[in-house]
Amino acid sequence: MTERADKTIELSVLRYNPETDEKPHHQSFTVPYTRDMSVLQGLQWIKDTVDGSLTFRWSCRMAICGSCGMMINGEPKLACHTLLRDLAPGPVTVEPLAHFPIERDLVVTVDDFVKKIESVTPWLIPKHPKPVSEGPYNQTPAQLEAYENFSACINCMLCYAACPQYGENPKFVGPAAMAILQRYNGDSRDDGSALRIDAVHGEDGVWGCTAVGACSDVCPKAVDPMHAVNQNKMNTALDYFLRFLKKRDAK
Amino acid sequence: MSDRRPYVRPMPRDWWARRPFRHYTIRELSGVTIAIYAAVLLSGLVALLQGPAAWEIWRGWLASPASLVLHAVLLVAMIWHLRTWFQILPKTMPKLVVGGSPVPQRLITLIGTSVAIVCSTALVAFVLWRPF
Repeated sequence: MTERADKTIELSVLRYNPETDEKPHHQSFTVPYTRDMSVLQGLQWIKDTVDGSLTFRWSCRMAICGSCGMMINGEPKLACHTLLRDLAPGPVTVEPLAHFPIERDLVVTVDDFVKKIESVTPWLIPKHPKPVSEGPYNQTPAQLEAYENFSACINCMLCYAACPQYGENPKFVGPAAMAILQRYNGDSRDDGSALRIDAVHGEDGVWGCTAVGACSDVCPKAVDPMHAVNQNKMNTALDYFLRFLKKRDAK
Repeated sequence: MSDRRPYVRPMPRDWWARRPFRHYTIRELSGVTIAIYAAVLLSGLVALLQGPAAWEIWRGWLASPASLVLHAVLLVAMIWHLRTWFQILPKTMPKLVVGGSPVPQRLITLIGTSVAIVCSTALVAFVLWRPF
């Protein structure tokens, strides 16, 4: 920090210690900041100088690892990608991601999210696997374009925190899982869509989405998960009606 | 022994009335306009079936201040629904890739909205001119 911090801003942080607290409560900190400081750096200043017990996740500090997602002034944002100067004069509320159970302070339980990602078989399944010696699976720029933006998902979970349907029903498969599913289904090298169709069917599948659209609005990587969810509404409807006509592989 | 005790926060019952979901709620409610207007037209058909007297009563109601206010409200809601419906249209259809690059969502919205405006204007003009 080369610049002198001559301004301060109040951060009201939601605190929760499972060993001592019945429920979360807010605690305010006055944080000195410079022009280039992010909310994450503000939290690190608190942890370094005021209260070492403040707990939060972070890693890359450059909006690519997806670890520091939290609710900042009620909106899901990456703390490393949100500058304190843009939130001045404050106060700024900092809370854990909505719709997820709080483990401690700003750290939430990610188990459910990880299971949902696993449920969409998130890897390429080629129709005819071939050894590396036979060379790569080629793809044209147009074929890449069909799924490229869905491949930009960093698993930050901001879209789940923005999705009221997930808040109402945690069983709802949710936006990021569908974006990742569409990333593979849309890939010309993949032939695994039949394996993934069960993840989109049913009441907890894509039809739980009522097109609120907040997931796409908050996505820091412009993945547009709402588009992925709605594309799969069409896919699941086609599969529902065509199953009477086509023979499905025995599992 | 684990000291884990994850705290689950309740979902606010009025989430639909809060920002940023208010916009979505208004969009969905404006869709009810279609059902209400369909009921108005259906009641006209029923009146037509019941005979000239009932038809005149229905026409009289259409010209009443209450009906005019209702129709003004329905028109505003319908225009709002048309605008917002085309905003989410690109997200509800397959991704369009033309010449190797995706068609911008704003362009799809613009084309859809323009077609709807042109068709509606043509229909209004057709009815007003009564060429038949």
